Amino acid sequence: MLAYLIFALTIGGIYALLALSLNLIWGGIGLVNLGLVGFFALGAYASALLTGAGLPVLFGWGGAIIVGAIAGLIVTLATTRLRDDYLAIVTLGLAEVIRLVALNERWLTNGSDGISGIQAPLKSALGNQGFNIFYLVLVSAVVLVVWLVLRRLDRSPYGRAMKAIREDQELAGFAGKNVLGFKVQAFAVSAAIAGLAGALYAHFQSYVSPDHFQPLITIYIFLAVAAGGVGRPAGGVLGAYVVVFFLELTRFLPDLVPALAPAQFAACREILVGVALILVLRFRPQGLLPEQILPAPKS
Amino acid sequence: MNRYTVNRRHFLAASSLLLGSAALPSFAWAQGEPIKIGTLTPLTGSGGPYGPVMADTVKAVVDEVNAAGGILGRKIEVVSEDDQTNPEAGVRAARKLIDVDAVSAIVGTWASSVTTAVAPLCWESKTFLATVSGADSITELPHQGYLVRTQPNTTLQGRKFGEFAAAEGAKRVFFVSPQTPYAESQFENITKAIETAGGETAILIYDDKKPSYRSEVDEVLRFEPDAIIFGGYTPDTTVMLKELYRAGYQGKKIAFAYAVNEKLVDSVPADVVEGCYTIAPSSNESSTAYQRLVKLIGVDKPDPYTVQVYDQVNLILMAMAAAGETTGTAIKDNIRKVSQAADGTRVDNAVDGLKLIAEGKPVNYDGASGPCDFTDKGDISDSSFRYEQVRDGKLTLVKIA
Repeated sequence: MLAYLIFALTIGGIYALLALSLNLIWGGIGLVNLGLVGFFALGAYASALLTGAGLPVLFGWGGAIIVGAIAGLIVTLATTRLRDDYLAIVTLGLAEVIRLVALNERWLTNGSDGISGIQAPLKSALGNQGFNIFYLVLVSAVVLVVWLVLRRLDRSPYGRAMKAIREDQELAGFAGKNVLGFKVQAFAVSAAIAGLAGALYAHFQSYVSPDHFQPLITIYIFLAVAAGGVGRPAGGVLGAYVVVFFLELTRFLPDLVPALAPAQFAACREILVGVALILVLRFRPQGLLPEQILPAPKS
Repeated sequence: MNRYTVNRRHFLAASSLLLGSAALPSFAWAQGEPIKIGTLTPLTGSGGPYGPVMADTVKAVVDEVNAAGGILGRKIEVVSEDDQTNPEAGVRAARKLIDVDAVSAIVGTWASSVTTAVAPLCWESKTFLATVSGADSITELPHQGYLVRTQPNTTLQGRKFGEFAAAEGAKRVFFVSPQTPYAESQFENITKAIETAGGETAILIYDDKKPSYRSEVDEVLRFEPDAIIFGGYTPDTTVMLKELYRAGYQGKKIAFAYAVNEKLVDSVPADVVEGCYTIAPSSNESSTAYQRLVKLIGVDKPDPYTVQVYDQVNLILMAMAAAGETTGTAIKDNIRKVSQAADGTRVDNAVDGLKLIAEGKPVNYDGASGPCDFTDKGDISDSSFRYEQVRDGKLTLVKIA
């Protein structure tokens, strides 16, 4: 049971990083990134390949951050004219492109067999249980640091400028803000965080394959950010943990409703996820932790 | 400071949820006694058509054994989880089965990626894993014996396709397939069989979500093949067959039986698919185990995965009884003693087998999917294949060999 809780909290932490990434770009500057899972995949594959080539794990993680950031740069620069729905469609397509490249470029990614046996740092020294605890602490610490940084960013003049762009980008541009510059930077940072989450996931599971990176994860993270509170880093983090616990907790429901067959129950779980999202949007559209817009300090 | 009170309340709500999640599974611990077996089948996602029947089959076998007194004086309980045909979700489900339910064995993982993702959790926690996935790489994992599969691997399947094409007199064989875990290895083994017979082969990997394959068909026909082997699934093979017909292809067509199935044959004009051969690992339909299974679950023609999972659970239950222990390690060490004991009495179900084991007699299980003998790596050593041909718009049995 303890091992299971540790596992769920670790996955929660990885989802929380993804939620922070999405919150920065969606809640912060108002760009909808439906391709989140693509950047997650890039980070996972980058780190798996780099460490597979013999580099230490920390280099793999650094590489994942860089690859994520570069991909983020490319996407924003390639789509400077696109906004809203159009950007969302492009990012959705991008995630599929990344998945299909991973599926078909067998020389690099080993195709649909995926890459197994990815280095799990310190696993041989710590043993299974020790490794799981170590990884939970590590992931939680990364979440804490990223959260603190993004919270600081959120409350800084930079954060206010981002939100001005989110509300009205013409007006922000008119007020002298470099709209494209902000977008490019925010997207790159957001993608880098998603890449880091992917790297952490890859080394936790020791296995990645194209099947891991189906759009389902993006949907879970949107649910997390919407439930937690769009525009507030703490909201995304809380939302991510709530989503993971919601997904895991519902596994124990059949014990209470033994009349349902496993297949019916599996379908019900998916329905519950959808119903939860609708309920949140209907009754608490601002999320569990609503966005705070603090007045700028007087200087 | 006022705004923080709201946060605290929410924090409380969230943490009570957390605590609740910790409390719930403790019921599971309290029961303790029964032996637990987990099914991890795809109940949703692209494996959704197969998983539910597989889970029900395991439950039916266990009910039967429980009614006959269980194993080692204990009842068996089945815990069913959904792998959502997705390795990320599959790992979460497997964690729950291993850490919370403490199952001795997990049966029924279907997609190869899910099996590869779940296998390390199993061997690390000494939980036994039986799978129906076909990718060659699975039994190459360092699984220390904690994994067996009942699905013939790609090497065997590819060889059968190649040998069949060669036996039909094909000299120039073209293999078309979407990108799958087994496409490459299948092609290699087809090539080996064809080249032994003095023929030539070529391959084309296509995107299985395209609406039209005109350029692909052009490329195929430039090779002037006298046989084409289809490695795809029903939707893409349907389109491919239609385009080949339109392009006037006259040669032989060979496909997997799961792709060219009755649904496909009914959905296209008769000429498009006429004469197409299908090959599939065959369940041993004449076996007594198969007939028992049909009666047990009330399904006329159970799919191969259901048939295999039936054999898996029977073997696992008998391995536990033979070991006198119910751990994953005990299953690992004893499964071959009940599946292929040279001096064992042949049995076709766990209830009979358990009786003999209780009397101290060795058993040798012959299952519904085949003889169920495993190599050291965990592959099955032999399997029969079923060859059919579409004749006058109907799938007709050619041979089982």
